[in-house]
Amino acid sequence: MHVPDGIFPLWLQILMYIISGIMLVLSVKMINKKFDDKLVPYMGVLAAVIFAAQLINFPVPPSSGHLVGSTLLAVMLGPWGGMLIIALVLFVQALSGDGGLLTYGLNFFNMGIFSCLVGWALALVLFKGLKRFTDEKRSVVVATAIASYVVTVLAAFVLGIELFTTTEYGIALVPITAIHAIIGIGEAILTFVILLYFVKAKPQVISFLKESEVSEMARVPVVPLPIQQVGE
Amino acid sequence: MNKNETLKYALPLIVAIVIVSSMILLGLASQNPDGFEWSLFDVAGAEEPTGGFEGIWAFLGDGVFIEAITGILGILAILLIGYGVFWLTSRKTK
Repeated sequence: MHVPDGIFPLWLQILMYIISGIMLVLSVKMINKKFDDKLVPYMGVLAAVIFAAQLINFPVPPSSGHLVGSTLLAVMLGPWGGMLIIALVLFVQALSGDGGLLTYGLNFFNMGIFSCLVGWALALVLFKGLKRFTDEKRSVVVATAIASYVVTVLAAFVLGIELFTTTEYGIALVPITAIHAIIGIGEAILTFVILLYFVKAKPQVISFLKESEVSEMARVPVVPLPIQQVGE
Repeated sequence: MNKNETLKYALPLIVAIVIVSSMILLGLASQNPDGFEWSLFDVAGAEEPTGGFEGIWAFLGDGVFIEAITGILGILAILLIGYGVFWLTSRKTK
């Protein structure tokens, strides 16, 4: 889904750069509020794992696909943390020639902003529904896998809609959505496997489990309140 | 961070590097166009843009070894960049 330069009109690329810039500033602010520096190694490793996973294309004849990982990251870190990691991954990929430099904003909008926000919201709804029937750990893995599938198809549909801004490529809307309905299965399986590893190895760092007692991220610093003396 | 913690963080990274490099070197990664390229260039008949920026590793040429090495360099680069960016943007604890 990495769009190269030379396909979309310049005005759309500039618009996407502006939207991406605003969202990046917001995500940095949210990260500063929510994450402390103890989680920095975890963020670096997650970014590297997602980058590595995106290097390998699995066959979906006559096409191929690879993990995007937006929903996975959004569930693990929250949408803002996920967005920032996708921004970094796309930046290094663009420097390596995978996805254009001018279309960086558009790629970030599709795979970062849209996919992280929608993936996070959808997974959260599914997680809350599934939690009624099974335990939290199983719920989060299944909910995230389903959400990642839906988001892959939706993001491809959005990219197909964006193609209508070009003069003649709008007809790609149907094939791009259809092929991603198959690629999405691979995304869901990889999401399931990677998240299962983290759920088993370190469930404390998954944002959806933050309300449970195992979460480190949910730990709010306990500040003792001044006790008011009676009669003061 | 104790030894077990470090291992839990390092393990997925090591596994990722091993899987990526072996899949590239063994030619197991699919060479088919991705979903976007297939839909646009093969189905819609758009002409693939040429002459743009081909990446900072373009001067090294093609080949599975080059691909594996640049892939590993990319993984290490993103690890460092990710570490740096999140260290700068996260809340500092004493």
